[in-house]
Amino acid sequence: MPLAYPSQRVAYPYFVVALLLFVLQVIVGIWLALSYALTIPQWLVDLLPFSTTRAVHTNLLVLWLLLGFMGSTYFMAPEETEREIYSPTLAYIQLLLLVGTGVTALAGFVFGWTKGKPLLEIPFPLDYLVVVGALIFLFNVGMTILRARQWTVIQGSLFGGLVFLAVMYLFNLPFYANLSIDWYYWWWVIHLWVEGAWELVAAALTAWILIKITNVPRATVEKWLYVELGLFLFTGIAGTGHHYYWLGAPSYWLWVGGIFSALEPVPILLMLADAWHYLRNRRSEIKGRLVFTYAVGMAILHFVGAGVWGFAHTLPQINYYTHGSQITVAHGHLAFFGAYVLLNLTFFYYAMPKLKGLTLFNERRGNIAFWWLSITMSVMTLAFSVAGVLQTHIERIMGLGYMTAQAQMRLSFAILAVLGVVFLGGVLLTVVDLMTLRPGPSAKEAA
Amino acid sequence: MSTKTARWIFYIGTLISLALFLVLTVDTHRQIQTLTHADRLSEQVVAGKRVWQKYNCNDCHTILGFGSYYAPDMTKVYWRRGSEGIKAVIRSPETFTTWRKMPRLPLTDKELENLVAFLQWTSEIDNQGWPPQDQKLRAGAGQAVALGVSPGAALYQAKGCFACHRLYEAGGGAGPDLTHVGSRLSYETIERILTDPRSGNPEATMPTPPLSHEERYQVGHFLAGLK
Repeated sequence: MPLAYPSQRVAYPYFVVALLLFVLQVIVGIWLALSYALTIPQWLVDLLPFSTTRAVHTNLLVLWLLLGFMGSTYFMAPEETEREIYSPTLAYIQLLLLVGTGVTALAGFVFGWTKGKPLLEIPFPLDYLVVVGALIFLFNVGMTILRARQWTVIQGSLFGGLVFLAVMYLFNLPFYANLSIDWYYWWWVIHLWVEGAWELVAAALTAWILIKITNVPRATVEKWLYVELGLFLFTGIAGTGHHYYWLGAPSYWLWVGGIFSALEPVPILLMLADAWHYLRNRRSEIKGRLVFTYAVGMAILHFVGAGVWGFAHTLPQINYYTHGSQITVAHGHLAFFGAYVLLNLTFFYYAMPKLKGLTLFNERRGNIAFWWLSITMSVMTLAFSVAGVLQTHIERIMGLGYMTAQAQMRLSFAILAVLGVVFLGGVLLTVVDLMTLRPGPSAKEAA
Repeated sequence: MSTKTARWIFYIGTLISLALFLVLTVDTHRQIQTLTHADRLSEQVVAGKRVWQKYNCNDCHTILGFGSYYAPDMTKVYWRRGSEGIKAVIRSPETFTTWRKMPRLPLTDKELENLVAFLQWTSEIDNQGWPPQDQKLRAGAGQAVALGVSPGAALYQAKGCFACHRLYEAGGGAGPDLTHVGSRLSYETIERILTDPRSGNPEATMPTPPLSHEERYQVGHFLAGLK
């Protein structure tokens, strides 16, 4: 089956690069777990400190997820607007620019070239090149939408989310003399990305896929999309306050952050209920079960990772003891995996067969990989949580030293290093499968 | 529910949250000046923040609880180690670490002074009493130092002895507890250990404390008095 619009093809290199960076990210992650579990000799610590590899791990995550979103947007935009991409050439230039900037930044980290701000280490002037890449992207997508003049709520949510994302990055550009104000705006980037802008993008992509695979009327999906987006932004924007408890901001943030962020699981739950409802009341037979499996898995783990694990330490009474511990790491891993890694993989499994001209494909490997990744990441989250509870109790409640607590957590990290290798196996299987999709038997047999 | 209602939920929900957030942001900007003692934000402190970023400290250590979790939180490190203690660790991290290492960083003396000024300023941020472990330490240290308001007790805190040695439930556990050290060791022995930590125990990992002759006398008498 040929593509509905030839310009959708620009998505392909975005997906390939994103997948390769994902593999790299996980390999570096294993090294990080080992750095916690083992004693790394001083000469190696001097040469390649933990700070560098950690920056590489997190920047790879952000880079590949964003490239995945961009590729997905380029794939979706023509079908949604019924127009070709405004300029496929510009889309390729944008990819080269962003990947070039990203790789330069990663190499620079190894030589100590950094802005020195966690997750946003990309130094000047590379950070401005990121802005240029984002502007090219927004221009290209914006022109595609503008020329089509077929306004839909999904387009609005997607484009609104992308603009919101780009605007928030600007708050990372200045140097802030006051540490507290620095972190105040750092969260405008990080929190308002993952609990604001990215959620809009995710909701749009998910709604679009659900319409495609279930044939549920667009009007129904878009109505609930409005409600979800309203709830995401209502809880998410003021919910930023749950990062402002201990940074030197006024104490009313304990109330505002606590109350609004306690409500943050509600829209995710609604999203889960929606997905379930559409899939039960679908109007056409689902062709190929794998995308369906991925979509449901995403909705569930998004809720568990972001909703449940987030709520667990969001109230100030608890957060006083858990803030800045491995509890945060446990939440971070499952939330990113459930909400954004699985979203990308859902989209890749929807789009890749079409990019390769397949109607149905053999789903056996893809199914194994889905369960492999999801189960391993869930167990990893439990291991991080055990480490986090130990740290909270020994260091924060008993008041024993930092290293006394870390000594008790070494076993968790040894286990995590092993789980990391297992996870890498699942990632490699996913990548190989997506790159070499084979025509499959009938949908019935695959199910 | 109609699409129209759904759209209203979207607009009203978003705008309420956004308005609240922006109003509180404006007010936070006003109050944060006092809460962070912005008047003490000297050029040296700002230069120290640049050092903190230059060496990417924040991708191992947390500060205000943010950053990476590989090494201790730096918000109140000034309470724990004092200026000399901080400098000693950065100059030779290998003497302070065992199984988890810190890289040897090529800070100049000036950078080190600036960084300490930044960390001292940070320790004074009024942040609702976080982190709990350092609050506990400070309460204990206050009690311990109050036992003898003496130059020796002040030096004990300023030179970072608390980093490794406990006094009345406060301080680290790497070295021996010194709460009743005066009943075990004489002034002369303590003075000798302060001059050369390996004089008592050749295996000792304690770094030579950065004390002048006079300061050694003060700290020695403070410790010898802890019976």
